[in-house]
Amino acid sequence: MTSNLLETWVNQYTSGLYSWAFHKVYDSELAKDLVQDTFLAAAEKIENFKGDSSPKTWLFSILNHKIIDHYRKKVHQPAALENQSDSIYFDTDGAWQESRKPKDWQSDDEKNVLDETDFQEVLQKCMNALPEKWNAAIKLKYMTEKNGEDICQELGITTSNFWQIVHRAKLQLRDCIDKNWHNN
Amino acid sequence: MKKIMNKLFLSCLKATELIEKNFHVQLSFSEQMQLKAHKMMCDACRNYEKQSILIEKGMETFQKNKKIEIDLEQLKKQINLNLTETKK
Repeated sequence: MTSNLLETWVNQYTSGLYSWAFHKVYDSELAKDLVQDTFLAAAEKIENFKGDSSPKTWLFSILNHKIIDHYRKKVHQPAALENQSDSIYFDTDGAWQESRKPKDWQSDDEKNVLDETDFQEVLQKCMNALPEKWNAAIKLKYMTEKNGEDICQELGITTSNFWQIVHRAKLQLRDCIDKNWHNN
Repeated sequence: MKKIMNKLFLSCLKATELIEKNFHVQLSFSEQMQLKAHKMMCDACRNYEKQSILIEKGMETFQKNKKIEIDLEQLKKQINLNLTETKK
């Protein structure tokens, strides 16, 4: 009986759950795994499902927990030591290192840049080159409409820790684009 | 002297941190003033901010455009298979 019910749900909701998961993690393999895990968790907990909410709502709430869990794990991963230092970018007084000073990109027309496939490609490449922890932090910003503080609470990190991660990630991202994009 | 300057006008390290923070939360009045003063004097941080905004927008566009079609039927089959296997 329950297995029939689950099978119906799989057929009915997989598509919606997958789209949602993909939208939140931007990674199709990971999104597939999360949807699978959602149904496995649902199978285990099906006795708890009382029908107070629709199965759809119930499944999505399980999925949302899985997504948050994924990010929580990533963000708590230790970053490699060499990435923790600001000294690549700043001297001891906090001034830019001469070689890393952001120079003008000569791109006044923002819209054109964003349409450029070349820029998109470099951006994607540079995002993938980030340490996983930072990649997760950066993606997180697009994950929810929630403000930074709520995100931090869910992830179990302090806000200052979160800004620091995002800041480091952005420094590296900017530097990477600077080096790889043809406009420069 | 440098320390006093940093206190008044922020170091570049601190200024770029505030630039990032500004994307998420409202800066306090004094943070806003310090950042403004710093940017007036610092070309590099002005460039940083411009480029950081561009990267933000780039990521938004990129995430919006990116659609990956997968074989949903295959995924459903796989899930159903896993479900029957765990029950055994």
